Amino acid sequence: MTTRSRREVLKGAAAVAAVLTLPVPLRAAIPAAAAPAPGASPSAAAEAVAGGADPDLLNAYIRLPATGGAVFQCPYAEMGQGIYTGIAQILADELDIPFNAIRVEHAPPGDVYHLISFSPEMPRLRVTGGSLSTRSAYPALRKVAASARRMLIQAAAADWAVPEGECNAELGTVHHRASGRRANYAALTAKAAQLPIPDPILKLPSELRYIGKPMARLDSAAKINGTAQFGIDTRVPGMVYAAVKYSPILGGELESFDESLRGKPHILAVERIPGGIAVVADSFYNAKKALADLQVTWTTSPLAGFSSRQFAETVRARLDEPGETAESIGDAPAALATAATNLVAEYHVPFLAHGAMEPPNCTADVRPDAAEIWIGSQANERVVTMVHEVTKLSADKITVHTPFLGGGFGRRVAFADQVIPAVLLSQKVGKPVKLIFTREEDIQHDVYRPMTAVKLRAGFDAHKKPVAWHFTVVGDGPARNGNRFFKGKLDASTFGGLDKQPYAVANKRVDYVYEPIPVPIGYWRSVEHGANAFCKECFVDEMAAFAGEDEAQFRRALLGDAPRHLAVLDRLLALCKWRPQAYAAEDGTSRALGLALHEAFGSIIGEVAEVSIRDGAAVVHRVWAVVDCGVVINPAQVEAQLQSAIVFGLSAALSGEIVIDKGAVQQSNFTDYPILTLAAMPVVEVAIIDSVAPPGGIGEGGTPPIAPAVVNALAKLTGERIRSLPLSNHPLKEHAGASPPRVEEILDRGRTIDRDRLARE
Amino acid sequence: MSTHSISVNGVMQRVDVEPDTPLLWVLRDTLGMTGTKFGCGVGVCGACTVLLDGRAQRTCILPIEALGAKSKITTIEGLSPDGNAHVVQKAWAEIDVPQCGYCQSGQILAAVALLRELPNPTVQDVQSRMTNLCRCGTYQRIQAAVLRAAQLSKHGAGK
Repeated sequence: MTTRSRREVLKGAAAVAAVLTLPVPLRAAIPAAAAPAPGASPSAAAEAVAGGADPDLLNAYIRLPATGGAVFQCPYAEMGQGIYTGIAQILADELDIPFNAIRVEHAPPGDVYHLISFSPEMPRLRVTGGSLSTRSAYPALRKVAASARRMLIQAAAADWAVPEGECNAELGTVHHRASGRRANYAALTAKAAQLPIPDPILKLPSELRYIGKPMARLDSAAKINGTAQFGIDTRVPGMVYAAVKYSPILGGELESFDESLRGKPHILAVERIPGGIAVVADSFYNAKKALADLQVTWTTSPLAGFSSRQFAETVRARLDEPGETAESIGDAPAALATAATNLVAEYHVPFLAHGAMEPPNCTADVRPDAAEIWIGSQANERVVTMVHEVTKLSADKITVHTPFLGGGFGRRVAFADQVIPAVLLSQKVGKPVKLIFTREEDIQHDVYRPMTAVKLRAGFDAHKKPVAWHFTVVGDGPARNGNRFFKGKLDASTFGGLDKQPYAVANKRVDYVYEPIPVPIGYWRSVEHGANAFCKECFVDEMAAFAGEDEAQFRRALLGDAPRHLAVLDRLLALCKWRPQAYAAEDGTSRALGLALHEAFGSIIGEVAEVSIRDGAAVVHRVWAVVDCGVVINPAQVEAQLQSAIVFGLSAALSGEIVIDKGAVQQSNFTDYPILTLAAMPVVEVAIIDSVAPPGGIGEGGTPPIAPAVVNALAKLTGERIRSLPLSNHPLKEHAGASPPRVEEILDRGRTIDRDRLARE
Repeated sequence: MSTHSISVNGVMQRVDVEPDTPLLWVLRDTLGMTGTKFGCGVGVCGACTVLLDGRAQRTCILPIEALGAKSKITTIEGLSPDGNAHVVQKAWAEIDVPQCGYCQSGQILAAVALLRELPNPTVQDVQSRMTNLCRCGTYQRIQAAVLRAAQLSKHGAGK
């Protein structure tokens, strides 16, 4: 791998290839028929490009080498979600070049790549997460590419002295229809770059070649022949290897270690790092082995008394506190007080680790005057900031490479404990250092999906119609951890997915009680939606059971004001051939279908799971998923992401739990933190709703509905409601005949049904 | 340190490493062949799978001293001389299996070993024999690709 900085590479490329410079105007005149979907920050790219001073980067997204084809800069990391392919589809379509002539690179740091905007007051940002990549890139980058196409057409028209309108772009050439003349883009770039920037004219839907088509992934070939480079594959001349061990008690520090290891064969350094110790050696195996044998003592920690089981009691004990009100529609407390019946339930979810297949790692080559870093991160610019803080080198002396990520899921926004020690160790030994976490370090020093508890209360009138609900969530969310966007008392990363529900209930209230979680917490695929959809969609099933209705019809009746949700649900019911009762399958097992519907990250997703019970555990045979994610860029990748998100959520629902005892994480590897295997993979069938709405996110939204869908199905087989995860904590037993559950939970007003099995734990 | 001779992708390699060094780290750190991946270090996830005399072998727990001089190792880099020509790779491309891609080298070699033993696997065979983990959940396409590779082999495509 080259050690030249990306900037040098860009300059080198510019020297040999004509670079199309392409500032885009702030005011985009779009024909009404081809109006782009409104969305995040449509003019973001335009403003930033216009302000750029570096001629090499004036066109930050598109380069057209003289040799033909195109090179696109993607602001987002490729971590399996297919964004390199999606970005290429968007740009190639509007630029009108052949898909097989494209190369996609990870864009370097730069404001021009800040496309994500939560509101006009907040600064735009860049992160690969929040299912925001396509949502932010689609509206901005279609315009960028459309302007580029128009410039090329104008350049050719000027050459041929014909009106622009008589020419069109077609797969890398400009074509003059009347004369039949053609010119390749590569021959036009120099002239095009001299032209004033035209307003983009977006293609009509019927003119699109790639957007909406199941294009094969651009990165597949490299991932099939082993040449794909992940961060862990970085090789730099003179590189040495580091293994790290952090305090087994979270928050502890290294007290002492056996210094006799220094100077032993293979060993280059034994060093304290913040929160732990590192061994640098001539191979990773030698470093890891020496570290495993090293005698180490640790200081105590404020977390030495922390127990996750105890913390579960702490959060549950606060469920009746008033908290901060996140949503209030009508007067839910009053409506509940006067309702004929109240239904109340408490739900609870555990800590979870990410378990991305590529263990965390970072390679650092730090010299007195410059630093070069290789790390598969979801936020390359924060890596630059971090390296600056440690080395005091200015940002222009810090080069950060972002190879492919071997899974992200939110794990790779938490990299301080990889980047900082790698930098310090490289400075110490004066060589490039590749630092790798063992799987044990990864699982035991992750940033965990927070444990939370939710109390859900619903009020019904005398006809068993729901008139109110009131949800209280107790816990903590990753957004409060130094996030500049959530400074108020309300942390949506805790209560999101409980509020803004489409169900027509006249009085709604969502309260949030902040219970700080002292152990590291972080973003985990679908964030708060994973927890809250489980609680909310299971409770909606409980409400339907109370009302004595089929839970699908119960939901339909509440979705009168939510046509997109209703359309998803109806398509789903048809797809799975919905049957509300448990039934005997051909193999003799009793099976049941369970349903859940949830909106998150701009997409509405419904899932039905077909479940049976074997040896006291849930077996998920099939899953049907229907999504309305607005305009679809690549239906094959939408399907892949739904399958992926479902497997991810299913692993967690079935057995995912991080237990912390006396401050130490009890799980350590895939042996005791199991993830789903191929044999346990349900058949997942996906349907996509045709939509012209702005693109929604697709990387995460498939995760939230799967746990409630499975648990709702189990209720029909066992006759009992499960209100905590994972399911492996609940030995399952089919009730006789596996007929529909008796509605035991129906209680009179004023009583609760807090008979959670968790009490046994 | 001791010197070991191993045959990797048809080439004899002499490496000086500690005898307990797992083959995974010899391939990655000593020979610079990074297509074979580190996933769990305890032989559970299968990301480090190679072919050892034609059979799937997890290399993160295989010390190099346990290898005989005549053992033939095939890694993803050596599966097909011109890149993606092996029938399993063709099936993988046709089905467009990978997402993050990190586990796919191991998955592909596990599939090659499975098809060598069972050229016409049933769905049940695939489910019981393909035990490598994939956190992205590409299992549905992995299963389809293994069955497709069996089909392609029958029709004489690839090798």
